[in-house]
Amino acid sequence: MKRKTGSALVVGAGIAGIRSALDLAETGYGVTLIDRADHPGGLLAQLDHQFPSDACGMCKMLPLFEKESASQYCLRKGLFHDNLEIRLGTELTALEGEPGRFQATLRSRPALIDPVRCLGCGDCAQVCPVEVPDAFNEGMTKRKAVYLPIPHAIPNPYIIDQEACTLCGECVKACPVQAINLHDEGRAAFRLLVVDDELIVRDSLKEWLQDAGFTVDMAGSGEEALARLAQTPFDVMLLDIKMPGMDGVEVLRRAKEAHPDLTVIMITAYATVDTAVEAMKIGAQDYLIKPFDPEKLAPMVEKVYQDLKGPGREVREFGAVVLACGTGFADPHEVGARYLYGSHPNVVTSLEFERLISGAGPTGGLLLRPSDQTPPRRIAWLQCVGSRDMQSEADFCSSICCMFAMKEARLAVEKLGPDLETAIFYMDMRSFGQSFQRYRDRTEAEGVGFRRARIHTVAPDPESGGLRLSYADQSGCLKNEIFDLVVLSVGARPASGTSDLAEMLGLEVNAWGFPQPRGLTPAVSSREGIFLSGSFPGLKDIGDSVIQAGAAAQKASLTIHNAGGGLALEKPEASGPRDVSQEIPRTLVALCRCGGRSVPSLDWEREAVALAGDPAVAETIIIDELCTAAGWESLAKQAEKDRPNRVLIGACLPYVYARSLKELGIRLALDPILLDAVDLHTSLRGVTDTGTASNLVRSLLGMTLARLKRADTRRLPTAPVTRKALVVGGGIAGLTAALAVADHGYPVEVVETAKALGGNLRWLTRTLEGDSLRDFLGKTVARVEKHPLITVHMPARIISSAGRAGSFRTVIRNGEEKPRTIEHGATILAVGGGEAPVESYGRGQIPAVITQKEFEERTGSGDIDPAALRNVVMIQCAGTREEPRNYCSRVCCPTALRQALAIKEKNPAASVWILYRDIMTTGFAETYYTQARRAGVIFINYETSGKPRVEPLSGHALVTLREPLLQRDVQIEADLVVLAAGVVPALDRRLAQAFGAELDEDGFFEEAESKWRPVDSLKEGVFACGLAHSPRPVVETVAMAEAAAQRALRILCRETLRVDRVVARVRQALCSRCERCLDACAYGARHIDPENGSVMVDEIMCQGCGACAAVCPNSAAVLTGFEDQGMLETIETALNTALGY
Amino acid sequence: MSAVHQDSPSTADVLLDRVREMVLPCLQCGTCSGSCPNEFAMDYTPRRLWRLVLSGDTEEVFNSRTFALCSACYSCTLRCPRELPLTEAMAALKQAASRLRSKAYRPSLAFYENFVGSVRRRGRVNEMEFMTFYFLARMNPVLPLRFTPLGIKFMIRGKVTPTLPGLGGSRSLEPIFKKIEEMEAGE
Repeated sequence: MKRKTGSALVVGAGIAGIRSALDLAETGYGVTLIDRADHPGGLLAQLDHQFPSDACGMCKMLPLFEKESASQYCLRKGLFHDNLEIRLGTELTALEGEPGRFQATLRSRPALIDPVRCLGCGDCAQVCPVEVPDAFNEGMTKRKAVYLPIPHAIPNPYIIDQEACTLCGECVKACPVQAINLHDEGRAAFRLLVVDDELIVRDSLKEWLQDAGFTVDMAGSGEEALARLAQTPFDVMLLDIKMPGMDGVEVLRRAKEAHPDLTVIMITAYATVDTAVEAMKIGAQDYLIKPFDPEKLAPMVEKVYQDLKGPGREVREFGAVVLACGTGFADPHEVGARYLYGSHPNVVTSLEFERLISGAGPTGGLLLRPSDQTPPRRIAWLQCVGSRDMQSEADFCSSICCMFAMKEARLAVEKLGPDLETAIFYMDMRSFGQSFQRYRDRTEAEGVGFRRARIHTVAPDPESGGLRLSYADQSGCLKNEIFDLVVLSVGARPASGTSDLAEMLGLEVNAWGFPQPRGLTPAVSSREGIFLSGSFPGLKDIGDSVIQAGAAAQKASLTIHNAGGGLALEKPEASGPRDVSQEIPRTLVALCRCGGRSVPSLDWEREAVALAGDPAVAETIIIDELCTAAGWESLAKQAEKDRPNRVLIGACLPYVYARSLKELGIRLALDPILLDAVDLHTSLRGVTDTGTASNLVRSLLGMTLARLKRADTRRLPTAPVTRKALVVGGGIAGLTAALAVADHGYPVEVVETAKALGGNLRWLTRTLEGDSLRDFLGKTVARVEKHPLITVHMPARIISSAGRAGSFRTVIRNGEEKPRTIEHGATILAVGGGEAPVESYGRGQIPAVITQKEFEERTGSGDIDPAALRNVVMIQCAGTREEPRNYCSRVCCPTALRQALAIKEKNPAASVWILYRDIMTTGFAETYYTQARRAGVIFINYETSGKPRVEPLSGHALVTLREPLLQRDVQIEADLVVLAAGVVPALDRRLAQAFGAELDEDGFFEEAESKWRPVDSLKEGVFACGLAHSPRPVVETVAMAEAAAQRALRILCRETLRVDRVVARVRQALCSRCERCLDACAYGARHIDPENGSVMVDEIMCQGCGACAAVCPNSAAVLTGFEDQGMLETIETALNTALGY
Repeated sequence: MSAVHQDSPSTADVLLDRVREMVLPCLQCGTCSGSCPNEFAMDYTPRRLWRLVLSGDTEEVFNSRTFALCSACYSCTLRCPRELPLTEAMAALKQAASRLRSKAYRPSLAFYENFVGSVRRRGRVNEMEFMTFYFLARMNPVLPLRFTPLGIKFMIRGKVTPTLPGLGGSRSLEPIFKKIEEMEAGE
């Protein structure tokens, strides 16, 4: 298979960065994933639970086919992939060049602890005298200056916080493997010259800089300075401007003439700053103002050092850059001060709360209030702290906090039981996603309190020791409630360093400092070749971040593709594992003593001898510490000498060795299935009795040995891929996806049921932000029509489809023509949706009552003149967010605002009322809500218990509802009542099932996992985007289409798909065709062969779960690698040793 | 709340519109109502008042005592998430009400006018004179009786002396007040 050879740089290793990187890596590109932090995972490293599952599930992002190319364990612990290079503690400091050929300067923090050598024993942290707040636990616990960045990473070497470290050297002495080297030789070789006529200035500068480890010389005058420069080369000169004799500017000029590479920093008093600025024009790098602030001086010199000579600086070439730098939070001390954050221990941020309920948190997972470590009985969540708040210049909704708060409330109840009282104080509960409203209803039904109120004061209540929250309820009643713990839903802000990064890269940012995407292409930044992934452009939840990440990966892929790739080195194709099926098992067993720490009395030599008794064991070696580089090398040497055909390691956690074992497999030309690691030391923990320990070791190793002996080493079959995509639906989602695939050089067939392309964009003209959808559609359709690789079938429909990832056969019928068959390797369902039919509020009976779509169409055709409207009422949630259509359609609130603003623009005197339940203007759409308010649109809240009534009134409509604030009925004589009917999908069940996709209860496409695999179907090879998937605005639909295309490209970029190692097969001779396995298979991987009636397994679709093997009464269904014989032998070994035989 | 569109706005409507402009972006979150120390005495909570202002309900707004009771503590302004000038808006309502001489605001107006009148004439307030004119303006014979206990206390402390009020005084502040009148007229 020919591999793509381009490479991409992904900045930020949070989930979005990981998603973008994996998407690109799985498509065959080389990817360098960097993060300035010392651990991957970004913010999610700190979050153990995500809604809606209230669990994690990040591992679902791992590759689904060719799984051996990547890690297959908990993604929060770490990640590897053959095409992926991960560099932590690394930043992007400069980017030159153009798309397809960028030169990126990467700078890595020097590792003072050798990560390969570090055992993670923690002896260094024991002796470290420095304690600082631990950022991982949001400062609620302390850590040492030498510490583990996150407790769960694997492997998990200690690192040194170079800002906190005092270089005392205690850890160096304590380290048992000499992994720590605090001495940075580069610094001593970095020479600085301090030139100042005042001795005291010279001296103090010299002292500070020498403390930082640099070599410093001094000169008292300009002449002396030039003389010294002539003698010895210097890297940096710190030069005073005002000196008797030759002044600094003159020295600078002459020095730069003689030594153009010299970096000069001017020293100036405040009065001569202008001169310093002038000096910068003739070559000075920067200036320092006297009197010096050592806090400023050190970083400035440090930066020069790092830029010039710093270790870990490297210039690399990349085809495209994906920025997944995430989002930060507002400073809670600033936005939360009025709620006593920082002055009362029981006021915490949502992130701190997340740590409080984490098993790795400050309380070990017990939810205790910080003041007295007792379980709280009443907890309040305060929404919109630093969001939707002009005072902190945040005229936006952070989009994530409502769901975040609900999840936290549920987890709190789960932890502390139903007696816990919880209340969420909110302005609008933004449960805006497709499944969010039902989650909210469930949360409410489970007893979490929802109070529509904004807390104005939080005060300590001395009597109860709690916090008194004061607020006015909807009716105006003043209320006070006492809570034990108050959680602030702190709003989002650009991640720290965003503005510097944007400036360095020349990216445009929006009014709030978030990078600004270009128009309707959400992943495209203002600089060509740089793409925006995840929540970096602002305010996205996990699902949307992952979609955005897919879109960014797609754009990056296209950029590299268009540039012809060719940057990364082509990987030498490994010759593949040798065939050992005819050989007698010869196993090399390596036992790790864990440095003698594990059961000191256990005689490892005896265990080795016992093992050697098994004829399958060729050699047994004992290694002191296998996890060290030296330990591993001794194993590798032994293996190369013996050339065994199986390798078994008895050590600690197997995933520590996953990558090394894989590499060893390649060195020995062995199939990965023939190498395995067994965790002995976790089981041995706490065991003191030698006999028990010996039994455990024999049993654990014996079981795996039994499995290894019987390992199936047949070559894996492959299946050819039809490198063509089928896109069902010719709306904007389908067209975008089709172009994204076709631009990569693969043919695409588009099937559209209507007579024209465009879907909903044929009636939608503008977005809320003012982008012209008409132009956007026009350009997209024109490109599709001209594209040589895209074939459009229209009007056409799908008759049937069969197949699996890489090879589908779909029958379509074009108009009245004869049905024809399309062969394709991937399917993208983009059948769209439309406005829901609505009959409530007198629609159909009262002519003045219309829907949003009708308003759009009739104003477009001139049938309704907005300028002539005097009173318009808009009713939101007409039929949505309650059963049976219990979901938010997301687009209706922005549409209402756009239409209201349009009316107000044409006719400022017109009155527009928007009757709403919760205004769902998430993200930056919030600013249009403010604008609509400012334009005089009147918003009245209603609840489902008191819906507005609409009656006919002489050609108009009379709208009556209860105004909740005034507590009285309001009557409005409306010329027009516009109903927000919401979105229904156009995906019919038959069509979805033809492709093996599932529908959810509302008829939308059921994704494999709403957060981690948002565009995938459970059936590999089938993807969805657009309104058929879930209601969303055009710009997000575009992102989703691009993400779906990228997922499809992972399949299309391959000539063949390799079957996974662990798949089910059928022993036909034993099969009684009872078909129980067909029902048991969750992936639809089994079917009856129509010709001979036998049960067949599709090996690509099979996920190797083993459900079929469990239900089969005849042992005819078997899982490769888990055959009865091997399993029984394994069990037997376990029993024998456990019973002491 | 009236939903009928008026074609020729009255002075009151014009004055209210200015206040409306100030509070247009209001979210009706109720932080102002909760923060207000005088809310207990008000007929409408601040949030309701803003609601009425936004709905253009001129009559009800000017019939309310809410803004007259605003003591300009700025709590609401400091806490408003929309950074609205709520205290200024309350002051604007007071000014509008005084210009309209709205009925509900007349007692407050009588207080202000006689207080300032006394200051204007004498450079400081003369309590006896101010009280007498205030009671006269209120035209309520019972009102002075309600203040009798307070008056006696004041007399004992020497704050109020039983002298006959007059319209005399140095009038040395007159130019300042003239200037203010000019400025107000020019608005």
